[in-house]
Amino acid sequence: MENTSLIGLSRQVALRRELDVIANNLANLTTTGFKSERVLFEEYLMPVARDESFQNPDASVSYVQDRATAHDHTPGALRTTGNPLDLAIDGDAFFTVQAPDGERYQRSGSFQINSDGELVSQEGYQVLGESGPIRFEPTDTDITIASDGTISIVNATGTQTRGKLKLARFSDRNGLEKDSVSTWRTGQAAEAPLSTTRVVQGAVEQSNVQAIAQIARMMEVTRSYASLAALLKSGDDLRQDAIKTLAEVQS
Amino acid sequence: MRAMHTAATGMMAQELNVSVISNNIANMRTTGYKRQRAEFQDLLYESLRRVGSQTSDQGTMVPTGVQVGSGVKTAGTSRIMSQGTLTATDRDFDVAIRGEGFFQIELPDGRTAYTRDGSFELDANGKLVTVDGYTVDPGITIPNNASNITINSQGQITAVIGTATASTTLGQLQLVRFINKSGLEAIGDNLFLETAASGTPQQGTPGSEGFGTTLQRYLEASNVNSVTELTDLISAQRAYEMNARVITAADEMSQTTANLSR
Repeated sequence: MENTSLIGLSRQVALRRELDVIANNLANLTTTGFKSERVLFEEYLMPVARDESFQNPDASVSYVQDRATAHDHTPGALRTTGNPLDLAIDGDAFFTVQAPDGERYQRSGSFQINSDGELVSQEGYQVLGESGPIRFEPTDTDITIASDGTISIVNATGTQTRGKLKLARFSDRNGLEKDSVSTWRTGQAAEAPLSTTRVVQGAVEQSNVQAIAQIARMMEVTRSYASLAALLKSGDDLRQDAIKTLAEVQS
Repeated sequence: MRAMHTAATGMMAQELNVSVISNNIANMRTTGYKRQRAEFQDLLYESLRRVGSQTSDQGTMVPTGVQVGSGVKTAGTSRIMSQGTLTATDRDFDVAIRGEGFFQIELPDGRTAYTRDGSFELDANGKLVTVDGYTVDPGITIPNNASNITINSQGQITAVIGTATASTTLGQLQLVRFINKSGLEAIGDNLFLETAASGTPQQGTPGSEGFGTTLQRYLEASNVNSVTELTDLISAQRAYEMNARVITAADEMSQTTANLSR
């Protein structure tokens, strides 16, 4: 008798969490390098232990459980900004930055130069090159970043390189864990990017959230939430009827 | 419900985005103005089921966990220090900088401010000042009887004094540059102040290594591009609306729940 409400409840909890994820996607509609998320559900069978040998075997009841939030790693559209320190990656790779507690990876490439001349992320983390942080001299002008990530500048002695961006690729992108401040962390070892991966200077990668799809999903969530509520209500009515009918004493 | 608060952070972020864009548009015709851009980052994630946690003693593990984010925050409003277009003005004391560098301005309280706005004037004593009357560092005085005032690309100011035939050097404009010019603090009046993030100013004459050159009778227009600003404005407005819709949806769901017990 309770099963109807419990199953309905498990679905409602899952739906609420899905709305949370949609809200987060829409809140980050304009966050540079943001990757859209979606919730994956799975069926959870109860009771786990049962015996088929009874004359009337236990009917298994399936609940809903949100198993995972998957990140959609498709690339976002590139937006040209013309700022030489705005970088985007065309391909499957991440920029490597040095957070206080280890290396972090990010797709957002709107970088700055700090007062020490180091290339840093919005959060102030050093952007790592293949041989450590990238540092500029006060006299450097015309910073150019080639498509393979090589950074070159012009000074009095001519053109010089200031390092090459360390791009990281992961074979299991879904194993990456979202940190806050638009960075990812993982225990996986970073691999070298594919040769087709290009760094684009003067552009940033926009978030890949598709607003229309999210809004449509949101409507679906609210509707199924309401229909579940109706289901719970009818389950409740049924029980009420039963109690009323059974408790009626024939006179 | 978390979704409501998440959407609220989204609305606040877009509100800030719109104010940054409107400030850019408002300063479209401001000499030496550098446009700003709001940068956002996602907020803290709650791991409801941690990725990589073990699901059995056989070493199987969760391939993708359940992580729910809690919205967006503003990471910064960075200033895009690209060169603005130069417009001819035909005024003797209008000076534009082509390339890197800032003019130094002495504030009344003794501090030094920096600007790209080179629309200078002379005060009652013939001193070169900004439109607000602040001295342009180093102080340069133009005598009353000076004519044919020329500021060359190296920032040297020369003029013909009185009835002399040759011109006299009256002073030299100095420029400064910063390793992180985006880290300068804007104080209004087209002025910037040095901060810990910008690094210390490095002085040099225009045209020397790494410094831009000066151009007399020109002013640097703002680097605001009206088309990009307007498209940004439209997308910010739409994003705001969508976040508002999420709040309505969350509200509807709460209402459904509330109606259950009736």
